[in-house]
Formats: sequence, C-alpha cells, structure tokens
Amino acid sequence: MNETREKTLVDILDKKMNRQLLYYLDICTRCSICKDACHQYVSTRDVLYLPAYRAELIRRVYKKYFTGMGQFIPALGEAREIDDKLLDELYQTTYACTGCRRCMFYCPFSIDTTWILSVAKAMLIAAGRGSQILAELSGASISKGENIDLFKDIIIDTLKSTEKELQEKVGDAKANIPIGKEGADTLYVALAGTHTILPAAIIFHQARVNWTLSLFEASNYGYFLGNVPQAKTIAQRIVDEARRLKVKEVVITECGHAYRVMSHFYETWAGEKHLFKVRSILEVIAEYIREGKIKLARGHVSKPLTYHEPCQVGRNAGFYEEPRYIVRQVASDFRELTPNRERNWCCGGGGGLVAEFEFDDLRIKTGERKVQQIRETGAEIVVSPCENCRLQLDTLNEKYNMEIEIISMMDLVVDAMVIDKAAN
Amino acid sequence: MSDEIKVDLELDVRKLLCPMPMVRVSQNIGKVPVGGVIRAVATDPGSLADIPSWARTTGNEVIKTERNDGEFVFYVKRVK
Repeated sequence: MNETREKTLVDILDKKMNRQLLYYLDICTRCSICKDACHQYVSTRDVLYLPAYRAELIRRVYKKYFTGMGQFIPALGEAREIDDKLLDELYQTTYACTGCRRCMFYCPFSIDTTWILSVAKAMLIAAGRGSQILAELSGASISKGENIDLFKDIIIDTLKSTEKELQEKVGDAKANIPIGKEGADTLYVALAGTHTILPAAIIFHQARVNWTLSLFEASNYGYFLGNVPQAKTIAQRIVDEARRLKVKEVVITECGHAYRVMSHFYETWAGEKHLFKVRSILEVIAEYIREGKIKLARGHVSKPLTYHEPCQVGRNAGFYEEPRYIVRQVASDFRELTPNRERNWCCGGGGGLVAEFEFDDLRIKTGERKVQQIRETGAEIVVSPCENCRLQLDTLNEKYNMEIEIISMMDLVVDAMVIDKAAN
Repeated sequence: MSDEIKVDLELDVRKLLCPMPMVRVSQNIGKVPVGGVIRAVATDPGSLADIPSWARTTGNEVIKTERNDGEFVFYVKRVK
C-alpha cells in the first residue's frame, strides 16, 4: 500500500471520527454477548462474522493512527496498519453484514456495528475496494434517473397492461395509474417493475385516494454500497418529484431500507427538512382498514400463516403493530415466530446480500436459523413486507425444501379485499 | 431476427424480479469474450430500464431489445 492511499484512508477515518464513533470504539469491553445475536456468527462460528470483530478491525486502525500507544508500541496497543490484508478482511466482514442491527439490540452499550461499518465502507470505496455489484446497481439507478426521459414512455407503456388488470379487479373501466399528477395528495414510490404497483393501485383506488405513481424506484443501492453522495442522489430524485407535484405525503412501498433512507437519513444528508410526510405503505394500509376505507374479508386465509419481520421494518424502523394488525384482519391462524419483534432473527438476505452473489453460500447457510424459526410454527404461508427478505425466503424455500408460500403484505391484503364492483 | 446476431451465452432470467435480471447479466458478462453477446430473456418490465442503464454505466452495450408476449429479450455486448 502506498503512502498516499494510506493517508487518504486515514483521513477518511479522521473525518468520520465524531463523538458517536469514538464512543463505540472506546466502550466495547469484548464481552462477546453480540456473538449469540448475529445469525452469521451463530451459523458459521467464523470470527470474521463476530460483530465485535467486525468493529475491532476499525478499532485497531484507529489505535494505530490516532493513539500514542498504537504509534509507538503497536503490539501492546493492538494497533493495526492499513494494508491489503486488512482491506481484504474489512471487505469480507463489512459487505457480508446484513445491517440487521440485532447485535446492537443485545449489546449492553448499544454499540451500533453498522455505524462503524459505514466508516469501513467509506474507506473501502476510497481504496477502490467497494462492492462491485452494489456499485453497478447504484450507478445504474443514477443513470436511469438522469435519463428518465428515455424510459418514461417505456414505463407508461408497460403500465397499460397493469392498468387493465386494475380495471378488471375493481370493476371500473376508468380506474387508472396516474404518473406525474400535480396536485395529488400522495406520491407512491414502488419498486422497479410492476409487481408492487398493481396491488397498491387497487388499494388506493378502493380507498378513494388522490394519488400518483413515482417515476423512480424506491430501492437505494447507494445506501447498501455505503456511498452517501450516491444514496442521496438516488433519494433526491423522489424528493424533487414530490416537491414538483406538491404532494402532501410520500408513501414508500414494502421496502424497509427505502423507507429508512427517506424517513431517517435523507434530511441529515441534505441538511433540509422534508416538505411532506413520509409514510410506509404498512401504516397507510393499517389506517385505511381502521378508518373503513378498505374492507377485508376476515379470516380469508385459514391456512397457518406467520409473519417474517424484516429488520429494516421492525427493529430499525419500529413498525411492529401495523403489520400484525393487518395480518390479524386476514388470517384466522396467525402464528408468531419465536423470537419476534426486536429480537427477531435476520433472514440473512438484507444489506444487499441477495444481489452480491459472492456471498450466496454464506447467506444460504446463515438463513438456517430463519428456516428453523418458520418450521417451528408449522406455517404454510409466510408474509413479509420486504423484497430482499422475500427473495432470500424464496431461496431458502428452495434450498431447504420448506414447501411454504411466500407473499407480500399488499398481495395478502388485495387477495382478501372485499370489492363492491357495482359501487365502482 | 435473433439469428442475425451471434449469441455467445443464453441467459434465462424469466420470473426474476428487478434488479435480479440485471444482476445476472452483470454476473455473466465476464463469461463471454470482449465483443461477445449475451442474450437475456426477462419477464420483469423493470428490466427495460435497468439493463440499458446498467450497460450505459459499465461501458457495455445493449445492441438490440425485443418484446414478445410479456418477455423482454436483450442482446448485451461485452465492450471491454
């Protein structure tokens, strides 16, 4: 490693060295409670996936370059120089992490390992060692946003068949999927493709909501990559669109990290407050049910059903009650996973891992705890409001011969919806 | 029409939801020689924007796109 690159990486650590990071680096007592909290460590017993060790790599670099002991007697100070071997280890520990933050929940000092790993990601990117596939996904997303005029007609064209499905489902030949509608109350941000558009369109139609569809997808691979400027650029397209259309709220589809980016991080990144509310589709659906705007057939699903709580929806965003409220409206045999809520196990597919094929074996192996949890319930249906989780559950279903059905929350709702076509 | 282009690798990414079709193309582009072509068949309409955007940013090229009965066919040329 040449001195210039080493200095660049040390400078990044220096810039990121705020009170919070310093606290995390100083306070860890290595009690190792986190080892039993991490699904990756529990499944592999590989120290690389021990949360304290993931953080320890950055801690050792900090000691080397920012403490007297580390500079003069590095062996005593457990200091470690930045070299290619360290970057290799850092890559493996950092990009393999799903960001579920279960370790933080169990840590007596609430050390946020993902915060420390965000610094590691910044250093890896500066060293040209960031995740290639996440960088490609992030770059493609930005390119799509910059060239949206090239794709706008394609998007509108592909929505025509979705619109027909909407009209048939609700029995209203005038039902449509508006795009770029100025003065709409709600801007709905879906995922790429149409599978998260049709169910939302049915729900909004039945709830008589003045809504419009975003031209941009909700998912943000810049966030998974750890590249804050790119993550901000990707999110900003939606913010600009919401401002242009003067909507009152932005509703994010079933996508945990996309909700957190818009709701928890964007204002800090941009240094400005949102001019609209940001809500998850989960709280919106729960509200529509409570207010009688949509009607569901109670007990529509009689097969045993369980709810896989996405880490970014539950533990990291706090939506515990809304999904359970919705599920209980529909399922007569709802069975909780154990443990659940803030203690729920990660499925193993978060953090962009479902796209990082180099970690395929790891995520399949480390999904075994989730497989066990689901099997213990005897559930035949698993509902989960997160695309990453569903992709991972699909893989686990196949690899572990689980023979379960995996569905989204919106599909569960739409399937159980009581639609009075004559009234439409 | 497809026989006009010499295809080096066929990729079936039907039923995969975005961004997985793009991820699979990225995963496989290194398996064809520079100048070689992947023919990828997708069903998620999101791939119509995703795959060309990916090609644009990675320096590769979508040389042709076809749409047949709910399937989207991409001919992706490895440029470098």
